[in-house]
Amino acid sequence: MDNFKIEGTKQTPKIAFSASTGILEISGRSIPENTFEFFNPVLLWLDSYSAVAPQKIVAKISLEYFNTSSSKYILEVLKRLKGMLNDGKEVLVEWYYEEDDEEMMETGEDYQDVSGLPFNIVAKED
Amino acid sequence: MNTYEKFRNMMDNHIVLSFKGEINSDIITMVLQIMETKLDAVSEKSSVRKKIFNVLVECMQNLYHHAEAEVEGDIHTRRAMLELFYDEDFYYILTGNYIKNVEISPLKDRIDRVNSLSKDELRQYYREILDNNIISNKGGADLGMIDMARKSGQKLDYNFTKVNDDLSFFDLKVKVDKKRDN
Repeated sequence: MDNFKIEGTKQTPKIAFSASTGILEISGRSIPENTFEFFNPVLLWLDSYSAVAPQKIVAKISLEYFNTSSSKYILEVLKRLKGMLNDGKEVLVEWYYEEDDEEMMETGEDYQDVSGLPFNIVAKED
Repeated sequence: MNTYEKFRNMMDNHIVLSFKGEINSDIITMVLQIMETKLDAVSEKSSVRKKIFNVLVECMQNLYHHAEAEVEGDIHTRRAMLELFYDEDFYYILTGNYIKNVEISPLKDRIDRVNSLSKDELRQYYREILDNNIISNKGGADLGMIDMARKSGQKLDYNFTKVNDDLSFFDLKVKVDKKRDN
């Protein structure tokens, strides 16, 4: 299966999903108006990935800003990962936030709670 | 008012940026870029600047998804306004847009509900709405108001002004405390 890569822009995050290593990175910002257009291919890739993914999957999420219409899609990404966890894979979410950004830390906790996935919430120093 | 008076007026009211016009995707991108540049230049803590930008993003998203068009003859234009200004204690993010009169009541209920909740209750409510698996066709996912209330840590201030039998003007003012640490 091919890797999935999208460069980040001022509105949309960088996506770097490595099929063979199971490292799935989302970073930057996600503030587009049309979130469906952006996230639908991401979700479709994950749907196909679940059949071929390696035993260990690590999602590295490092977002500076995202709007609330992106927040549902981020949860959709996590739900795909939860499906893989339920299939017996080992899944870890590494949630990064900038040290002074308490909200982004809390948001990580919210996602941990709602998704039921193991999270590692990590402060990034500037 | 002559131009100098207008200029003084904007200075005295500490207007960082004021925008009125058609709302589309390109405009939103540009306004946010200008806002971000302007915020980089203000002397507030990065956590405060971040909060302001977050609220701005959410406000622009609201305008994009919910602003109603004015109809003049055959022309439908989605005009709205956005303003960022400050006083000694707060930054204020003010938006204004048209809304259908029939939509006032549900919107008012939603904001009142958000305003009635404590910080912890808001967080709980946010998780509930996030988890209920409906992505609304307007994309806003109903989380916007909750998110703005959480980020600002303040009550949302709003007003409706009736324009005609079909439309009203909805304004929303979100405050961000300059001194708040979290």
